[in-house]
Amino acid sequence: MTRAYWLLQRLTQLLPVLLGISVICFALLQMIPGDPARIILGSRASPEAVAAMRDRLGLDQPALQQYLTYMSKVIRGDFGESISYKVPVSKLILEHAPVTGSLAVYVIALAVPIALILGMLAARYRGTWVDHLIRMLSVLGMTMPVFWLAILMLRLFSIDLGWFPVSGYGQGFLGHLHHLFLPAVSISIWMIPVLVRNLRASIVQQSVADYVLAGRAKGLTERHIFTHHILKNASLPTLNLFGVLVAYLIGGTVIVELVYALPGLGLLMFNAILGRDYPIIQGLTLFYALATVVITLVTDILSGLIDPRVKA
Amino acid sequence: MFLALMLTSIGTIASADESPPGSRPDIIRIASGSRTLTLDPTRSWNSGDIETFGQLYSRLFRRDQAGNLQPGLAERWEMSADARTYTFHLRDARFSDGTPITADDVRFTLLRMRDDPEALYSEPVSGVVDVVAVDQRTVRVMLAEPNVPFLDTLEVCFLGITSRADVENRGPGKAFTEHPVTSGPYRVREWKPGDRLVLEANPYYWREGFPRNGGAELIEVIDANTRIAMLLAGEVDAIRQLGWSRAESFRAQGKVSVPLEPANLIWLILLNHAQPPFDDLRVRQAAALALDRQAMARVVLRNLGRVANTTMPASLDHHLADFPGWPYDLERARQLMAEAGAAGHEVVINIAAPSPQMELIGLILQAQWADIGLKTRIVKMDQGQEVQRLMDGDYNASINWWYNENPDPDLALRWAVCGSCGNRAYYTNYSNKEVDRLIAEAAREPDPALRRVLYQRVQRISTEEVAQIPLFYPPWVNAYSHAIEGLGMTPALQWTLENARHLR
Repeated sequence: MTRAYWLLQRLTQLLPVLLGISVICFALLQMIPGDPARIILGSRASPEAVAAMRDRLGLDQPALQQYLTYMSKVIRGDFGESISYKVPVSKLILEHAPVTGSLAVYVIALAVPIALILGMLAARYRGTWVDHLIRMLSVLGMTMPVFWLAILMLRLFSIDLGWFPVSGYGQGFLGHLHHLFLPAVSISIWMIPVLVRNLRASIVQQSVADYVLAGRAKGLTERHIFTHHILKNASLPTLNLFGVLVAYLIGGTVIVELVYALPGLGLLMFNAILGRDYPIIQGLTLFYALATVVITLVTDILSGLIDPRVKA
Repeated sequence: MFLALMLTSIGTIASADESPPGSRPDIIRIASGSRTLTLDPTRSWNSGDIETFGQLYSRLFRRDQAGNLQPGLAERWEMSADARTYTFHLRDARFSDGTPITADDVRFTLLRMRDDPEALYSEPVSGVVDVVAVDQRTVRVMLAEPNVPFLDTLEVCFLGITSRADVENRGPGKAFTEHPVTSGPYRVREWKPGDRLVLEANPYYWREGFPRNGGAELIEVIDANTRIAMLLAGEVDAIRQLGWSRAESFRAQGKVSVPLEPANLIWLILLNHAQPPFDDLRVRQAAALALDRQAMARVVLRNLGRVANTTMPASLDHHLADFPGWPYDLERARQLMAEAGAAGHEVVINIAAPSPQMELIGLILQAQWADIGLKTRIVKMDQGQEVQRLMDGDYNASINWWYNENPDPDLALRWAVCGSCGNRAYYTNYSNKEVDRLIAEAAREPDPALRRVLYQRVQRISTEEVAQIPLFYPPWVNAYSHAIEGLGMTPALQWTLENARHLR
């Protein structure tokens, strides 16, 4: 199987996945009580005004008709107009995506090197105090609620010490780095332990594999065996886990966005759900789905580069 | 498309952003938990939008610091002898795009509110028969019958004057989302829905020397803790909704100013008069008597405001101040319940979540109504659903609040206790022909002393018949930095933003 064919196959698998997600998300919204026209207009609006709004939004059409209308527009790149803000959904997503995207990149930049070092140290010095300390800190990091940690850091570093801003996204690259530092740390403190534990377990598991014994028998140095064989094999499960975590980051930063008042995608989704803003919810769900699929694809390609067996 | 979105999100980290005037010293920054949903004053009465409309659009009248009505875009006016025709003479004022504000724009604004099917609150102009642009700067408004509070009504934030030419050229969709043409102290520099509204001083604003600042940022911050942190760290100059439970400690600390500003606001319990058990006056009275509202005000409102004694906010004109209202009298309540034979009835209380205050009130209601034999079930739902159930009459009781846009009781009582004014007395189905007649009569009555008598009768009747159970009159609980002056909130939920400036 050639690499190009394999890639093409993976890409065509995306379509039914996305279609399925759009159908499920549409069906879910249909079942939730609450009339968007009434939510937009509020309790002072006359029944005629509500009827006019329902008509304008196409909410009085059968669900299937609404879905088909929506999808035909989506295919043409039109995600519709936000019900409450009356601006294009794509514009809203474009405005909010950079914040979440930057935050995700920041978290990756912070978490990956630290996780790699700690994971390798813990595995290398398995059973010693180094290992115990790292594992203890991991448990601590994983069990601390992110929102609580975020509030605590905000209190200490932003209000009492004044080192970092409380809210917002900042101007320019350095501004972003400064503003997003605490949010990124809040998420990393939870994410690093997950990666460390996974990587440590994999390294430990790989270091007793037969190929390690064979390597030693051939007279390879321990360093060579570790960097060229153990680490390569051990990184695969962690890479896959990492892919899942990054996909989660794109949509799962809402709590951190709330605490640090970051206008990201999580907050956009949060508000859209509260306001029953159907087009935003649908647009974002598709966006998340595609982001997840693309990240998984990239992870698969990377896995394939590291380990040719993955492609087979 | 998707890929483009994702690449942009990653790409932006390396690129410099446009630079809103966030760091400029003459910018006033406010964090509010309310959202700005639209910049079109006819399309919303959501509190975040009300906070915004007044900054963007001038009305024919305005209120001064003391709350008195002053000329706005209308410089002078005359009323006909039969009090049914008003002639307004406009001052020489311009929109934010430099075009003159004309009689035709006033006509367009008033009739759009009255006639547009998507206009949300046409009650203020429902009595307008016609509007005629006599010349460029003279506009005549004809009313079906005399309406004494009409000038007051013309000041409400929903009747901000908008540009006919712009709305018709671009259509309401574009005209109110992309740099709307404004008539007020500010124009829109940038609107990021769900994040912030960046305002800059309108260079054509008609009030000489205003705004006293270069612009403002209205930032949406949902989490109250974050708003407080931003204020303490100096990232904003003021915050909305500090929270009743936090007010006392922040006042004591003195790091920020928490002035507790008067509000045209009332918290209340709506009862559905169309269904048992609250179709029976005795049960409604018993439900009111069974509540220890002093204790409730202490626990929930932390004594920041008074217990409500009538169905109308106390800050409005002609409030019936010396009326005792409903006392806490468990004996009489039990007696009334026995007479009505309503003990054991189940009552569904709707609450719009999330609201810790309302949930707390719900728990107190549950305990106190149990004392008179009313079984209660609290149902929490989202705001949209709550409003829908209210309108459909699918509820027994609902914990709620409302506020009025001006100090005159006319619009307020039409909203709250009038059975024939379109909303069935705030969807309670309360209906008393005498009350409706008195409200209509008061609107026509030119003598303030007589109006007062009429409005006080309305309050007495509707409170005694328990149109609703009034709970309390809370103030606005905002917090301000000591580094600014002139910024506050009027009882009508309007920031006095144009007066605000940083202290040196």
